[in-house]
Amino acid sequence: MIINDVVCPFCGCLCDDLELEVEGDRILRVQNGCSLAEATFMNDTRLPAPIRRTTTGWEEISYDEAVNETADILKDADRPLLYGWSSTHGEAQSVGVHLAELIGAVIDNTSTVCHGPSILAIQEVGHPGCTLGQVKNRADVVIYWGCNPIEAHPRHMSRYTTFATGFFVPDAQRERTVIVVDTRRNDSGGIADEFVQIEPGGDYAVLSALRAIVRGKDSVLPKKVAGISKEQLIRVAGICKNAKFGAIFFGLGLTMSRGKYKNVRNAIELTDELNRHTKFVISPMRGHGNVYGSNEVFTWMTGYPFAVDFARGIAFYNPGETTAVDILRREECDAALIVASDPGANFPRAAAAHLAKIPTVVIDPHLNATTALSRIHIPCTAAGIDAAGTAYRMDGVPIRLKKVIERGYPDDAEILKKIYNRLNGGMGS
Amino acid sequence: MKCLLNTGRSVPQGASVEHKGSEEYRSVASVCFLNTVDMMMLGIENGARVMITSLTGHVVLTARLAEGITRGEIFVAIGPYANHIISSETHGTGMPDFKSQYVDVEVTEEPVLSVGELMEEIGGLRYDHQ
Amino acid sequence: MTELLVKNACVIDPIRNINGEIMDIAIRDGRIVESVSDRAEMIDAQRCLTLPGGIDSHTHVCGTKVNFGRYMSPEDMRAGRTQRRGKMHVTSGYYVPTTFGNSYRYSAMGYTTLLEGAMAPLEARHTHEEFTATPHQDMLANTLFDGNWAVMDAVREKNIQKAAAIVGWTLNAVKGYGIKLTNPGGTEAWGWGEDLTSIHEPVPHFGVTPSEIISTMIRANELLRLPHSVHLHCNNLGKPGNYQTTLETFDLVPDLNPERQTLYATHVQFHAYGGGTWRNICSKAEEITRSVNSKPQIVMDMGQIMFCRTMTMTADGPMEFNLHCLHHNKWSNHDVELETGSGIIPVTYSKTSAVNCIMWAIGLELALLTKSPWQCLLETDNPNGAPFVKYPEVIGLLMSKRYRDEECATLHADTEKRTSLCALERELDWHDIAVMTRAGQAKALGIVNQGKGHLGIGAEADIAIYPIRTDSLDPAREYRKVVEGFQKTRYTIKRGRVVSRDGEIIVDGANATFWANAKIPEDIRVDTDPEFIRRFQEFYTVRMSNYPVQDLYLPRGRRVDTEAFT
Repeated sequence: MIINDVVCPFCGCLCDDLELEVEGDRILRVQNGCSLAEATFMNDTRLPAPIRRTTTGWEEISYDEAVNETADILKDADRPLLYGWSSTHGEAQSVGVHLAELIGAVIDNTSTVCHGPSILAIQEVGHPGCTLGQVKNRADVVIYWGCNPIEAHPRHMSRYTTFATGFFVPDAQRERTVIVVDTRRNDSGGIADEFVQIEPGGDYAVLSALRAIVRGKDSVLPKKVAGISKEQLIRVAGICKNAKFGAIFFGLGLTMSRGKYKNVRNAIELTDELNRHTKFVISPMRGHGNVYGSNEVFTWMTGYPFAVDFARGIAFYNPGETTAVDILRREECDAALIVASDPGANFPRAAAAHLAKIPTVVIDPHLNATTALSRIHIPCTAAGIDAAGTAYRMDGVPIRLKKVIERGYPDDAEILKKIYNRLNGGMGS
Repeated sequence: MKCLLNTGRSVPQGASVEHKGSEEYRSVASVCFLNTVDMMMLGIENGARVMITSLTGHVVLTARLAEGITRGEIFVAIGPYANHIISSETHGTGMPDFKSQYVDVEVTEEPVLSVGELMEEIGGLRYDHQ
Repeated sequence: MTELLVKNACVIDPIRNINGEIMDIAIRDGRIVESVSDRAEMIDAQRCLTLPGGIDSHTHVCGTKVNFGRYMSPEDMRAGRTQRRGKMHVTSGYYVPTTFGNSYRYSAMGYTTLLEGAMAPLEARHTHEEFTATPHQDMLANTLFDGNWAVMDAVREKNIQKAAAIVGWTLNAVKGYGIKLTNPGGTEAWGWGEDLTSIHEPVPHFGVTPSEIISTMIRANELLRLPHSVHLHCNNLGKPGNYQTTLETFDLVPDLNPERQTLYATHVQFHAYGGGTWRNICSKAEEITRSVNSKPQIVMDMGQIMFCRTMTMTADGPMEFNLHCLHHNKWSNHDVELETGSGIIPVTYSKTSAVNCIMWAIGLELALLTKSPWQCLLETDNPNGAPFVKYPEVIGLLMSKRYRDEECATLHADTEKRTSLCALERELDWHDIAVMTRAGQAKALGIVNQGKGHLGIGAEADIAIYPIRTDSLDPAREYRKVVEGFQKTRYTIKRGRVVSRDGEIIVDGANATFWANAKIPEDIRVDTDPEFIRRFQEFYTVRMSNYPVQDLYLPRGRRVDTEAFT
């Protein structure tokens, strides 16, 4: 059976034009997807049943046992951490927030080690952005700053920017100027019209330099800024000012290097500045398929996009204090529920190590590094494969992920509801 | 040799990210990329093993050449190998220094561990059924 | 079967011409009935003011740009937070509350139905998800068409039927209720960083003017027989001298519908400025109301500002950018491909600003100078003018000259000579207020025949019982009691269940979402038109089959069918 217009759940692009051929509970073929989509749909090996760690190894347990023991772990905890959420659908994310509120937990999502700094910057200076179709149809200048779309978002350029035909940009490749700014010339840099090689940690200075040029103050600049010549800076600023529509996409190069949210703030303020001359937008390249969804759901329910602490009976937010890495680093949490993410692999060592010291439960379709650190791993559906639900694309457009096959796993939203109900009945409402 | 650690995504890393126990994943996540001249200074060939040490710990990776890496930079795909040596200090932002940490790089004969072994070093227990 | 009897209610029900009668209201299974058995639960309203549930006909509470407003404002989330308590979830936010915050606070004020002011079709799914999380009010979504490429093409071709077909398909696809136009044509110009300065200026590349868009859409709306009229945020919002644009726009409006207005002009305060600069800006409320008083085909709402910090958020991208250039506050922008735009920026309205004082006066003038309360409804364009929790204060001001005088005494010195508020003696009465906060909205939105806005037999039992004794409270003198009285109901009843009691929510909600379904003749449907499909697939970044909002996003959807094209 052929299924059209399937949504790939892997990265923030949420490409929704995939064609899948399925038979029974197997996916035979993926068309139109990139290699990450292929891997997502074709190499979907699952943990067959819930497992619990014993003193010597692992044993299989039933779903009921797993749910009950998880509920007990959370009930006994003083300061539980509910982390992850980025690869599952909105329904599960909502239950997660309700659960965190019920038990006074801290709930955080993978933004915390990805675009959390972007959110911090947006909270300082706002976010002048747009949906991806605006870029596709209008942009004649596209800047990729501190990200590597060819590797991390392989179809971004063909669907939304460089190679995408737009209403006002029918001859995309000729009419679009692509600027890539990075510390190293990666594959994305290879296709750029203008590659800007920046010294590591130099983004803030370069952004400030560009802002100065845009404001007509090039005279204050030295000959080189963070390894980039004044000539190139003036040329780049000129391209931006003369654009009809410019779009900046940025990634972990800004959020993770020295300065972090200050880098992003400066990039937003540059965009702001450029809006006084022409039309410019800026957007973060969100990594996980539905990390933006977790921000949206957390926000409309609690007021904050990540790192929400319910211990006081209110929603409390203080990055650095209520963020997952810090809570783990300070050994503050005494139980953890990890959903649709892999902090064991993605968190610094000391934070990941704490997960092994406390009772940690993983709810995820796949075995991952965190499994080894957990006490129980409960396999579930994979959103976009055997579970349908809402996901938010990197530009905020909500798309419904499809269920293309049935594999006999429970939906993680259902598992979470069972845990919630057990805790709600046991503790009173 | 002191280097600035840069971490990031790659297609091979992303394609095997849901199979962290696999050999495929290990082969892409436990690799570090160095500049040609730096590798010469270390006296190593493509494929040699290096010990990366930070204040937090050490990890053994396989060194490979790559175009575009500047001198003094070492690039590792995001994942448990890189994180084994990254500090969990976030300076009040929630975000660790994934791209701004300095590390020591030296030649080594030690083996590259599997992801399972890395997890066991920090108190975990491998699950090896797949 | 559940029965409830509200006894001794002092009812004002303008739609049924009831003005202050003491009566009992019998409710069975969520609807008002003739009588109930003696097993019915009983509430004694103790002769308190009892009105149909409040209806807000223009509020920004759900969707992409509202959520933008929330997550960029952690300082506001802290300002308005409340604890988890009983049935109530935590809430955060003062001027952009979380969805539960909105729902609980509106319920405490007696509101049971809300029209979300702006929903971009491409992002409708998000709006509906937030609707479900606003559980104590029935919801309706104003659907944005101001920068819609397919519509603008139909306008240029002077093809009203085609425009209607596009609107009909879109509303059906995204479960929208009515046509919203925000700065028509201007939001498309903003896609290039430009704006339009007159309703006769053509949109770049599309060659249609706002005047043409508005006229075509009004006729398309009536062809579709949509329950609500076109809902318009005029061009040139916020600019000194813009009253001319507003009057020109009003002059475009024919009278095409005997049941209701043909144009709903929203937050008109922002569109009633004379002068030409911030220095000489003045009120043109008299001119605006003179026009509206002579045009029964127009209903407007006030767009009242109050002195406080709040958040502006509209689809009017260029206007929001101009505010950013003026105030330098943090600014977000979100243009939606092929459809519309939006901008979000916090502002503070202050008594030390002559301009703000004039704006404040204009809103009140509009209400006091419009002869019929049915034609000027009470709104603050929440949160743009003020958070909705300030509605009771607006009521107090409209009912009491003394209150207005006391406020006027603290305003900027220039206010008096640039507005006429201080000279206005009129004080609205309880009946006027009932019209302006529910009956008028029900009529304007076309939901009276859905059982909203009145307490007749068969109506939905949405009832607000306020701690106000109209026989002993003089609103002209005791305005503080008026304000307090409208802040918190004794009981808010939603579909026959008490949901709020003295400000506490006591049950989980189960709201409904109303949406319009116009039956389009086969030969002009756009979803089978190869050209429409081709352009959709080529220029949008989602596939046409993934665009429509699936039924499950409306757990209790109420489809309103219309006899279109008849």
